[in-house]
Amino acid sequence: MANVLDLRRRIRSVKNTRQITKAMKMVSAARLRRAQERTLAARPYAEMITSVLESLTRRVDIFDEETGNLRHPLFATRPEKRVLIVVISGDRGFAGAFNANITKTAFQFIKGNPEIEIDVEAIGRKGRDLLRRRYPIASYSEQTDENGTKRQVRNERKGKVEITGDHPGMLIKLEANRVFDLAQNIISRYVHEEIDAAYIVYNEFKSVIAQRLVVERLLPILEIGKPQITGAEEPTAEQKERAAHAALSAGITLEEADTEEADEEAKKFGTANVDYIYEQPAEELFNGLLPQYVSAMLYHAMAESVAAEHAARMTAMDSATNNASEMIDSYTLQMNRVRQAAITKEIIEIVSGAAAV
Amino acid sequence: MADETNSLRVRLVSPERVLFDTTADAVELPAKNGYMEVLFGHAPLMAELGAGDVRLHGGRDGGDQVYNVSWGFVEVLPDRVTILANDALKPGEIDVQRAQQQLDRGQKEWQEAGDSEEKYTEALHRIAEAEAKLATAHEK
Repeated sequence: MANVLDLRRRIRSVKNTRQITKAMKMVSAARLRRAQERTLAARPYAEMITSVLESLTRRVDIFDEETGNLRHPLFATRPEKRVLIVVISGDRGFAGAFNANITKTAFQFIKGNPEIEIDVEAIGRKGRDLLRRRYPIASYSEQTDENGTKRQVRNERKGKVEITGDHPGMLIKLEANRVFDLAQNIISRYVHEEIDAAYIVYNEFKSVIAQRLVVERLLPILEIGKPQITGAEEPTAEQKERAAHAALSAGITLEEADTEEADEEAKKFGTANVDYIYEQPAEELFNGLLPQYVSAMLYHAMAESVAAEHAARMTAMDSATNNASEMIDSYTLQMNRVRQAAITKEIIEIVSGAAAV
Repeated sequence: MADETNSLRVRLVSPERVLFDTTADAVELPAKNGYMEVLFGHAPLMAELGAGDVRLHGGRDGGDQVYNVSWGFVEVLPDRVTILANDALKPGEIDVQRAQQQLDRGQKEWQEAGDSEEKYTEALHRIAEAEAKLATAHEK
Protein backbone atom coordinates (compact mmCIF):
# COMPACT_ATOMS: atom_id res chain seq x y z
CA MET A 1 0.00 0.00 0.00
CA ALA A 2 1.19 3.50 -0.86
CA ASN A 3 2.49 5.50 2.03
CA VAL A 4 1.21 8.85 3.26
CA LEU A 5 3.88 10.85 1.51
CA ASP A 6 3.10 9.32 -1.90
CA LEU A 7 -0.58 9.98 -1.50
CA ARG A 8 0.01 13.52 -0.39
CA ARG A 9 2.12 14.11 -3.46
CA ARG A 10 -0.54 12.67 -5.71
CA ILE A 11 -3.21 14.84 -4.16
CA ARG A 12 -1.11 17.91 -4.74
CA SER A 13 -0.66 17.00 -8.40
CA VAL A 14 -4.39 16.46 -8.93
CA LYS A 15 -5.08 19.74 -7.21
CA ASN A 16 -2.80 21.49 -9.67
CA THR A 17 -4.60 19.88 -12.58
CA ARG A 18 -7.92 20.92 -11.12
CA GLN A 19 -6.74 24.48 -10.94
CA ILE A 20 -5.76 24.41 -14.60
CA THR A 21 -9.02 22.89 -15.78
CA LYS A 22 -10.95 25.35 -13.68
CA ALA A 23 -9.08 28.26 -15.22
CA MET A 24 -9.64 26.86 -18.70
CA LYS A 25 -13.33 26.56 -17.96
CA MET A 26 -13.56 30.18 -16.89
CA VAL A 27 -11.62 31.31 -19.97
CA SER A 28 -13.94 29.32 -22.22
CA ALA A 29 -16.94 30.81 -20.45
CA ALA A 30 -15.67 34.32 -21.10
CA ARG A 31 -14.96 33.49 -24.74
CA LEU A 32 -18.37 31.89 -25.06
CA ARG A 33 -20.01 35.04 -23.81
CA ARG A 34 -18.10 37.08 -26.37
CA ALA A 35 -18.95 34.65 -29.15
CA GLN A 36 -22.61 34.82 -28.22
CA GLU A 37 -22.51 38.60 -28.34
CA ARG A 38 -20.95 38.41 -31.76
CA THR A 39 -23.68 36.15 -33.12
CA LEU A 40 -26.22 38.59 -31.75
CA ALA A 41 -24.44 41.58 -33.26
CA ALA A 42 -24.45 39.88 -36.66
CA ARG A 43 -28.18 39.23 -36.58
CA PRO A 44 -29.58 42.55 -37.77
CA TYR A 45 -27.56 42.42 -40.96
CA ALA A 46 -28.61 38.86 -41.79
CA GLU A 47 -32.23 39.63 -41.02
CA MET A 48 -32.18 42.75 -43.17
CA ILE A 49 -30.59 41.02 -46.13
CA THR A 50 -33.16 38.25 -45.84
CA SER A 51 -36.11 40.59 -45.63
CA VAL A 52 -35.03 42.76 -48.52
CA LEU A 53 -34.47 39.67 -50.66
CA GLU A 54 -37.85 38.34 -49.70
CA SER A 55 -39.55 41.55 -50.64
CA LEU A 56 -37.61 41.72 -53.89
CA THR A 57 -38.71 38.24 -54.87
CA ARG A 58 -42.28 39.22 -54.13
CA ARG A 59 -42.06 42.34 -56.24
CA VAL A 60 -40.21 40.96 -59.21
CA ASP A 61 -40.69 37.49 -60.57
CA ILE A 62 -37.81 35.12 -60.28
CA PHE A 63 -38.38 34.27 -63.92
CA ASP A 64 -37.78 36.83 -66.59
CA GLU A 65 -41.10 37.42 -68.30
CA GLU A 66 -39.73 37.85 -71.79
CA THR A 67 -37.08 35.18 -71.99
CA GLY A 68 -38.37 32.77 -69.36
CA ASN A 69 -34.89 32.52 -67.87
CA LEU A 70 -34.17 32.46 -64.20
CA ARG A 71 -33.18 35.82 -62.88
CA HIS A 72 -30.23 34.39 -61.06
CA PRO A 73 -28.33 31.13 -61.46
CA LEU A 74 -28.33 30.53 -57.70
CA PHE A 75 -32.01 29.67 -57.86
CA ALA A 76 -31.41 26.97 -60.45
CA THR A 77 -31.64 23.39 -59.27
CA ARG A 78 -29.82 20.55 -60.94
CA PRO A 79 -29.65 16.86 -60.12
CA GLU A 80 -27.01 16.52 -57.41
CA LYS A 81 -24.07 14.71 -58.93
CA ARG A 82 -21.29 16.79 -57.48
CA VAL A 83 -21.73 18.29 -54.07
CA LEU A 84 -19.66 20.57 -51.89
CA ILE A 85 -19.73 20.27 -48.15
CA VAL A 86 -18.33 22.92 -45.85
CA VAL A 87 -17.31 21.28 -42.60
CA ILE A 88 -16.99 23.73 -39.73
CA SER A 89 -15.10 22.31 -36.77
CA GLY A 90 -12.90 23.81 -34.08
CA ASP A 91 -9.31 24.98 -34.11
CA ARG A 92 -8.28 23.49 -30.79
CA GLY A 93 -8.82 20.35 -28.80
CA PHE A 94 -9.83 19.92 -25.16
CA ALA A 95 -13.43 20.37 -26.18
CA GLY A 96 -14.83 16.95 -25.41
CA ALA A 97 -16.35 15.24 -28.40
CA PHE A 98 -17.02 18.48 -30.26
CA ASN A 99 -14.63 17.98 -33.18
CA ALA A 100 -15.21 14.24 -33.34
CA ASN A 101 -18.96 14.76 -33.58
CA ILE A 102 -18.66 17.26 -36.40
CA THR A 103 -16.44 15.01 -38.47
CA LYS A 104 -18.65 12.04 -37.67
CA THR A 105 -21.63 13.90 -39.10
CA ALA A 106 -19.58 14.76 -42.19
CA PHE A 107 -18.49 11.13 -42.62
CA GLN A 108 -22.08 9.99 -42.28
CA PHE A 109 -23.14 12.43 -44.96
CA ILE A 110 -20.41 11.16 -47.26
CA LYS A 111 -21.27 7.53 -46.55
CA GLY A 112 -24.95 8.20 -47.08
CA ASN A 113 -24.27 9.42 -50.62
CA PRO A 114 -21.82 6.90 -52.06
CA GLU A 115 -22.70 7.53 -55.71
CA ILE A 116 -21.99 11.25 -55.87
CA GLU A 117 -18.71 13.11 -56.06
CA ILE A 118 -18.06 15.25 -53.02
CA ASP A 119 -15.74 18.18 -52.52
CA VAL A 120 -14.87 19.06 -48.96
CA GLU A 121 -14.05 22.53 -47.74
CA ALA A 122 -12.65 22.23 -44.24
CA ILE A 123 -12.85 25.10 -41.80
CA GLY A 124 -11.16 24.67 -38.45
CA ARG A 125 -7.86 22.93 -37.91
CA LYS A 126 -9.05 19.89 -36.02
CA GLY A 127 -11.63 18.84 -38.56
CA ARG A 128 -9.22 19.47 -41.39
CA ASP A 129 -6.63 17.16 -39.83
CA LEU A 130 -9.17 14.38 -39.38
CA LEU A 131 -10.55 14.74 -42.90
CA ARG A 132 -7.11 14.90 -44.46
CA ARG A 133 -6.23 11.54 -43.01
CA ARG A 134 -9.07 9.95 -44.96
CA TYR A 135 -9.38 11.82 -48.19
CA PRO A 136 -6.91 13.06 -50.79
CA ILE A 137 -6.41 16.74 -51.49
CA ALA A 138 -7.53 17.94 -54.90
CA SER A 139 -4.64 18.87 -57.13
CA TYR A 140 -4.55 21.52 -59.79
CA SER A 141 -2.18 22.11 -62.65
CA GLU A 142 -1.53 25.21 -64.65
CA GLN A 143 -2.43 25.18 -68.30
CA THR A 144 -1.91 27.73 -71.00
CA ASP A 145 -4.71 28.03 -73.51
CA GLU A 146 -4.41 29.24 -77.11
CA ASN A 147 -4.52 32.92 -76.10
CA GLY A 148 -1.53 32.50 -73.88
CA THR A 149 -3.36 33.12 -70.63
CA LYS A 150 -2.66 30.78 -67.79
CA ARG A 151 -5.46 28.97 -66.09
CA GLN A 152 -5.72 26.62 -63.16
CA VAL A 153 -7.18 23.32 -64.23
CA ARG A 154 -8.20 20.66 -61.83
CA ASN A 155 -6.55 17.30 -62.27
CA GLU A 156 -8.46 14.07 -62.43
CA ARG A 157 -10.05 13.03 -59.18
CA LYS A 158 -8.15 10.61 -56.99
CA GLY A 159 -11.32 9.46 -55.35
CA LYS A 160 -15.00 10.16 -54.97
CA VAL A 161 -14.22 12.54 -52.15
CA GLU A 162 -11.57 15.21 -52.33
CA ILE A 163 -10.59 18.12 -50.15
CA THR A 164 -10.60 21.31 -52.18
CA GLY A 165 -9.59 23.81 -49.59
CA ASP A 166 -8.82 24.54 -46.01
CA HIS A 167 -8.94 27.80 -44.19
CA PRO A 168 -6.66 27.76 -41.20
CA GLY A 169 -7.19 30.52 -38.69
CA MET A 170 -10.49 31.64 -40.15
CA LEU A 171 -12.33 31.00 -36.91
CA ILE A 172 -9.73 32.52 -34.60
CA LYS A 173 -10.48 35.95 -35.91
CA LEU A 174 -13.77 35.71 -37.68
CA GLU A 175 -13.82 38.40 -40.33
CA ALA A 176 -16.75 39.08 -42.59
CA ASN A 177 -14.37 39.84 -45.47
CA ARG A 178 -12.79 36.42 -45.51
CA VAL A 179 -16.13 34.70 -45.16
CA PHE A 180 -17.39 36.76 -48.07
CA ASP A 181 -14.44 35.67 -50.21
CA LEU A 182 -15.21 32.05 -49.42
CA ALA A 183 -18.88 32.61 -50.23
CA GLN A 184 -17.92 34.14 -53.57
CA ASN A 185 -15.67 31.21 -54.31
CA ILE A 186 -18.48 28.75 -53.59
CA ILE A 187 -20.93 30.78 -55.66
CA SER A 188 -18.60 30.93 -58.62
CA ARG A 189 -18.13 27.16 -58.47
CA TYR A 190 -21.88 26.75 -58.41
CA VAL A 191 -22.46 29.16 -61.27
CA HIS A 192 -19.81 27.43 -63.39
CA GLU A 193 -21.51 24.11 -62.65
CA GLU A 194 -18.49 22.62 -60.94
CA ILE A 195 -20.85 21.72 -58.12
CA ASP A 196 -24.59 21.08 -58.13
CA ALA A 197 -25.27 21.84 -54.48
CA ALA A 198 -23.51 23.08 -51.37
CA TYR A 199 -24.09 22.04 -47.77
CA ILE A 200 -22.71 23.24 -44.46
CA VAL A 201 -22.07 20.83 -41.60
CA TYR A 202 -21.88 22.67 -38.31
CA ASN A 203 -22.95 22.84 -34.71
CA GLU A 204 -25.95 25.08 -34.39
CA PHE A 205 -26.00 27.04 -31.18
CA LYS A 206 -29.02 28.89 -29.85
CA SER A 207 -28.00 28.61 -26.22
CA VAL A 208 -26.01 26.22 -24.04
CA ILE A 209 -28.91 23.80 -23.79
CA ALA A 210 -30.36 24.38 -27.23
CA GLN A 211 -27.78 23.20 -29.72
CA ARG A 212 -27.56 20.50 -32.32
CA LEU A 213 -25.47 19.23 -35.17
CA VAL A 214 -26.98 20.14 -38.49
CA VAL A 215 -26.45 19.66 -42.18
CA GLU A 216 -27.85 22.71 -43.90
CA ARG A 217 -28.24 23.35 -47.59
CA LEU A 218 -26.52 26.53 -48.69
CA LEU A 219 -27.09 26.28 -52.44
CA PRO A 220 -29.28 26.21 -54.44
CA ILE A 221 -31.52 28.67 -52.66
CA LEU A 222 -35.02 27.28 -52.79
CA GLU A 223 -36.77 29.69 -50.51
CA ILE A 224 -35.30 32.79 -48.99
CA GLY A 225 -35.31 33.19 -45.25
CA LYS A 226 -35.92 29.51 -44.47
CA PRO A 227 -32.93 27.49 -43.34
CA GLN A 228 -32.92 24.27 -45.30
CA ILE A 229 -31.86 21.75 -42.71
CA THR A 230 -31.48 18.32 -44.19
CA GLY A 231 -30.20 16.49 -41.14
CA ALA A 232 -29.97 17.25 -37.45
CA GLU A 233 -28.77 15.49 -34.35
CA GLU A 234 -29.84 16.61 -30.90
CA PRO A 235 -27.62 16.07 -27.87
CA THR A 236 -28.77 13.57 -25.26
CA ALA A 237 -30.53 14.68 -22.08
CA GLU A 238 -27.44 13.80 -20.06
CA GLN A 239 -25.21 15.95 -22.25
CA LYS A 240 -27.65 18.81 -21.94
CA GLU A 241 -27.70 18.47 -18.17
CA ARG A 242 -23.92 18.53 -17.98
CA ALA A 243 -23.75 21.58 -20.23
CA ALA A 244 -26.38 23.34 -18.14
CA HIS A 245 -24.47 22.60 -14.96
CA ALA A 246 -21.25 23.94 -16.46
CA ALA A 247 -22.98 27.07 -17.71
CA LEU A 248 -24.65 27.83 -14.40
CA SER A 249 -21.46 27.45 -12.41
CA ALA A 250 -19.69 29.80 -14.84
CA GLY A 251 -22.43 32.39 -14.72
CA ILE A 252 -23.78 31.95 -18.25
CA THR A 253 -27.50 32.29 -18.82
CA LEU A 254 -29.30 29.35 -20.30
CA GLU A 255 -32.05 31.21 -22.08
CA GLU A 256 -31.75 32.34 -25.62
CA ALA A 257 -31.19 36.05 -25.82
CA ASP A 258 -34.32 38.03 -26.52
CA THR A 259 -34.00 39.30 -30.04
CA GLU A 260 -37.63 39.61 -30.98
CA GLU A 261 -37.74 43.38 -30.92
CA ALA A 262 -34.54 43.78 -32.90
CA ASP A 263 -35.69 41.14 -35.37
CA GLU A 264 -39.00 42.89 -35.89
CA GLU A 265 -37.15 46.11 -36.54
CA ALA A 266 -34.77 44.43 -38.95
CA LYS A 267 -37.59 42.77 -40.87
CA LYS A 268 -38.87 46.18 -41.84
CA PHE A 269 -35.83 46.69 -44.01
CA GLY A 270 -36.80 46.96 -47.64
CA THR A 271 -40.31 45.71 -47.01
CA ALA A 272 -42.25 48.92 -46.43
CA ASN A 273 -45.48 48.92 -48.34
CA VAL A 274 -44.49 51.58 -50.83
CA ASP A 275 -43.23 51.62 -54.37
CA TYR A 276 -39.50 51.88 -54.19
CA ILE A 277 -37.46 53.57 -56.81
CA TYR A 278 -34.91 50.92 -57.70
CA GLU A 279 -31.72 52.58 -58.73
CA GLN A 280 -30.52 49.43 -60.37
CA PRO A 281 -32.60 46.90 -62.27
CA ALA A 282 -33.78 43.90 -60.28
CA GLU A 283 -31.18 41.58 -61.77
CA GLU A 284 -28.38 43.80 -60.63
CA LEU A 285 -29.78 44.06 -57.14
CA PHE A 286 -30.13 40.30 -57.05
CA ASN A 287 -26.57 39.86 -58.23
CA GLY A 288 -25.37 42.07 -55.43
CA LEU A 289 -27.65 40.78 -52.70
CA LEU A 290 -27.45 37.03 -53.20
CA PRO A 291 -23.72 36.67 -52.49
CA GLN A 292 -24.28 38.77 -49.39
CA TYR A 293 -27.08 36.48 -48.33
CA VAL A 294 -24.98 33.35 -48.83
CA SER A 295 -22.09 34.98 -47.03
CA ALA A 296 -24.33 35.99 -44.13
CA MET A 297 -25.52 32.37 -43.85
CA LEU A 298 -21.93 31.14 -43.75
CA TYR A 299 -20.90 33.79 -41.26
CA HIS A 300 -23.81 32.90 -39.06
CA ALA A 301 -22.91 29.20 -39.16
CA MET A 302 -19.30 29.96 -38.27
CA ALA A 303 -20.17 32.33 -35.45
CA GLU A 304 -22.52 29.76 -33.94
CA SER A 305 -19.97 27.03 -34.34
CA VAL A 306 -17.36 29.10 -32.50
CA ALA A 307 -19.81 29.66 -29.66
CA ALA A 308 -20.59 25.95 -29.60
CA GLU A 309 -16.91 25.09 -29.49
CA HIS A 310 -16.36 27.28 -26.46
CA ALA A 311 -19.45 25.86 -24.81
CA ALA A 312 -18.20 22.33 -25.46
CA ARG A 313 -14.82 23.18 -24.00
CA MET A 314 -16.46 24.77 -20.99
CA THR A 315 -18.53 21.65 -20.39
CA ALA A 316 -15.57 19.34 -20.85
CA MET A 317 -13.45 21.37 -18.46
CA ASP A 318 -16.28 21.48 -15.94
CA SER A 319 -16.48 17.68 -15.99
CA ALA A 320 -12.71 17.47 -15.67
CA THR A 321 -12.78 19.76 -12.65
CA ASN A 322 -15.51 17.68 -11.04
CA ASN A 323 -13.60 14.49 -11.71
CA ALA A 324 -10.49 15.99 -10.17
CA SER A 325 -12.43 16.94 -7.05
CA GLU A 326 -13.77 13.42 -6.74
CA MET A 327 -10.30 12.01 -7.15
CA ILE A 328 -8.93 14.31 -4.45
CA ASP A 329 -11.69 13.20 -2.08
CA SER A 330 -10.98 9.53 -2.62
CA TYR A 331 -7.23 10.02 -2.27
CA THR A 332 -7.71 12.03 0.92
CA LEU A 333 -9.83 9.26 2.36
CA GLN A 334 -7.24 6.69 1.43
CA MET A 335 -4.45 8.82 2.86
CA ASN A 336 -6.26 9.22 6.18
CA ARG A 337 -6.81 5.49 6.36
CA VAL A 338 -3.15 4.79 5.77
CA ARG A 339 -2.19 7.37 8.38
CA GLN A 340 -4.66 5.89 10.88
CA ALA A 341 -3.30 2.41 10.24
CA ALA A 342 0.25 3.60 10.86
CA ILE A 343 -0.75 5.23 14.15
CA THR A 344 -2.64 2.15 15.27
CA LYS A 345 0.33 0.01 14.43
CA GLU A 346 2.63 2.25 16.45
CA ILE A 347 0.34 2.19 19.46
CA ILE A 348 0.14 -1.60 19.33
CA GLU A 349 3.91 -1.73 19.22
CA ILE A 350 4.23 0.57 22.23
CA VAL A 351 1.54 -1.25 24.22
CA SER A 352 2.94 -4.69 23.49
CA GLY A 353 6.43 -3.38 24.29
CA ALA A 354 5.20 -2.08 27.65
CA ALA A 355 3.44 -5.38 28.37
CA ALA A 356 6.61 -7.31 27.74
CA VAL A 357 8.55 -5.35 30.35
CA MET B 1 -34.52 73.21 -39.03
CA ALA B 2 -35.14 69.65 -38.15
CA ASP B 3 -36.86 68.84 -34.89
CA GLU B 4 -38.01 65.55 -33.45
CA THR B 5 -40.81 65.28 -35.99
CA ASN B 6 -38.83 65.64 -39.16
CA SER B 7 -35.39 64.24 -38.60
CA LEU B 8 -34.04 61.18 -40.29
CA ARG B 9 -33.33 58.00 -38.45
CA VAL B 10 -30.07 56.66 -39.84
CA ARG B 11 -28.63 53.23 -39.26
CA LEU B 12 -25.36 51.78 -40.48
CA VAL B 13 -25.13 48.00 -40.29
CA SER B 14 -22.20 45.80 -41.27
CA PRO B 15 -22.15 41.99 -41.34
CA GLU B 16 -20.44 42.02 -37.97
CA ARG B 17 -22.36 44.62 -36.03
CA VAL B 18 -24.56 47.70 -35.96
CA LEU B 19 -22.21 50.68 -36.16
CA PHE B 20 -24.68 53.38 -35.34
CA ASP B 21 -28.36 53.97 -34.96
CA THR B 22 -29.08 57.65 -34.58
CA THR B 23 -30.97 60.60 -35.99
CA ALA B 24 -29.57 63.30 -38.22
CA ASP B 25 -30.62 66.18 -40.43
CA ALA B 26 -29.13 64.73 -43.57
CA VAL B 27 -26.91 61.93 -44.73
CA GLU B 28 -24.55 61.71 -47.68
CA LEU B 29 -24.20 58.31 -49.32
CA PRO B 30 -21.85 56.87 -51.92
CA ALA B 31 -24.36 55.13 -54.19
CA LYS B 32 -22.98 53.06 -57.00
CA ASN B 33 -23.64 55.72 -59.60
CA GLY B 34 -22.35 58.61 -57.51
CA TYR B 35 -22.90 60.42 -54.26
CA MET B 36 -26.34 61.41 -53.12
CA GLU B 37 -27.65 63.31 -50.16
CA VAL B 38 -30.79 62.27 -48.38
CA LEU B 39 -32.98 64.65 -46.41
CA PHE B 40 -36.19 64.10 -44.53
CA GLY B 41 -39.06 63.21 -46.83
CA HIS B 42 -37.04 61.56 -49.58
CA ALA B 43 -38.93 59.25 -51.90
CA PRO B 44 -38.57 55.53 -51.08
CA LEU B 45 -35.48 54.20 -52.78
CA MET B 46 -33.37 51.05 -52.93
CA ALA B 47 -29.86 51.41 -54.24
CA GLU B 48 -26.54 49.64 -54.32
CA LEU B 49 -23.69 51.30 -52.52
CA GLY B 50 -20.27 51.91 -54.00
CA ALA B 51 -17.10 52.68 -52.10
CA GLY B 52 -16.77 56.02 -50.34
CA ASP B 53 -17.77 58.03 -47.31
CA VAL B 54 -21.04 58.06 -45.46
CA ARG B 55 -21.44 61.51 -43.90
CA LEU B 56 -23.93 62.35 -41.23
CA HIS B 57 -24.88 66.00 -40.98
CA GLY B 58 -26.29 67.29 -37.73
CA GLY B 59 -26.25 63.90 -36.08
CA ARG B 60 -27.76 63.69 -32.61
CA ASP B 61 -24.71 62.03 -31.10
CA GLY B 62 -21.98 64.55 -31.69
CA GLY B 63 -22.47 66.55 -34.86
CA ASP B 64 -21.01 65.36 -38.15
CA GLN B 65 -19.72 61.84 -38.49
CA VAL B 66 -17.80 60.19 -41.28
CA TYR B 67 -17.55 56.48 -42.02
CA ASN B 68 -15.77 54.81 -44.87
CA VAL B 69 -17.96 52.13 -46.40
CA SER B 70 -17.46 49.79 -49.30
CA TRP B 71 -20.22 47.99 -51.16
CA GLY B 72 -23.62 47.18 -49.88
CA PHE B 73 -27.14 48.45 -50.09
CA VAL B 74 -29.18 51.32 -48.85
CA GLU B 75 -32.86 51.65 -48.24
CA VAL B 76 -34.29 55.14 -48.10
CA LEU B 77 -37.73 55.81 -46.67
CA PRO B 78 -39.13 59.28 -45.98
CA ASP B 79 -38.15 59.16 -42.32
CA ARG B 80 -35.57 56.41 -42.22
CA VAL B 81 -32.33 55.46 -43.91
CA THR B 82 -30.77 52.05 -43.43
CA ILE B 83 -27.32 51.40 -44.81
CA LEU B 84 -26.14 47.82 -45.17
CA ALA B 85 -22.43 47.98 -45.82
CA ASN B 86 -20.14 45.04 -46.54
CA ASP B 87 -17.39 46.84 -44.76
CA ALA B 88 -17.52 49.98 -42.67
CA LEU B 89 -14.65 51.75 -40.94
CA LYS B 90 -14.10 54.93 -39.01
CA PRO B 91 -11.47 57.15 -40.68
CA GLY B 92 -9.11 56.43 -37.80
CA GLU B 93 -9.41 52.69 -38.31
CA ILE B 94 -8.18 52.69 -41.88
CA ASP B 95 -4.86 50.95 -42.38
CA VAL B 96 -3.19 53.22 -44.93
CA GLN B 97 -0.43 50.78 -45.71
CA ARG B 98 -2.84 47.99 -46.36
CA ALA B 99 -5.02 50.20 -48.53
CA GLN B 100 -1.95 51.17 -50.54
CA GLN B 101 -1.05 47.51 -51.03
CA GLN B 102 -4.60 46.82 -52.07
CA LEU B 103 -4.40 49.62 -54.62
CA ASP B 104 -1.14 48.27 -56.05
CA ARG B 105 -2.56 44.80 -56.24
CA GLY B 106 -5.70 46.09 -57.92
CA GLN B 107 -3.68 47.95 -60.53
CA LYS B 108 -1.55 44.92 -61.18
CA GLU B 109 -4.64 42.79 -61.63
CA TRP B 110 -6.12 45.39 -63.91
CA GLN B 111 -3.08 45.28 -66.16
CA GLU B 112 -3.04 41.51 -66.22
CA ALA B 113 -6.75 41.05 -66.74
CA GLY B 114 -6.44 40.51 -70.49
CA ASP B 115 -9.80 39.81 -72.11
CA SER B 116 -11.57 38.56 -69.05
CA GLU B 117 -14.40 40.89 -68.17
CA GLU B 118 -14.81 39.30 -64.78
CA LYS B 119 -11.24 40.04 -63.82
CA TYR B 120 -11.55 43.65 -64.96
CA THR B 121 -14.59 44.18 -62.79
CA GLU B 122 -12.88 42.58 -59.85
CA ALA B 123 -9.76 44.69 -60.31
CA LEU B 124 -11.81 47.86 -60.69
CA HIS B 125 -13.69 46.99 -57.51
CA ARG B 126 -10.45 46.60 -55.65
CA ILE B 127 -9.04 49.86 -56.98
CA ALA B 128 -12.18 51.82 -56.17
CA GLU B 129 -12.27 50.45 -52.63
CA ALA B 130 -8.60 51.21 -52.00
CA GLU B 131 -8.83 54.69 -53.47
CA ALA B 132 -11.86 55.53 -51.36
CA LYS B 133 -10.09 54.32 -48.25
CA LEU B 134 -6.98 56.32 -49.01
CA ALA B 135 -9.02 59.44 -49.74
CA THR B 136 -10.82 59.16 -46.41
CA ALA B 137 -7.59 58.53 -44.55
CA HIS B 138 -5.78 61.48 -46.11
CA GLU B 139 -8.60 63.84 -45.43
CA LYS B 140 -8.22 63.35 -41.72
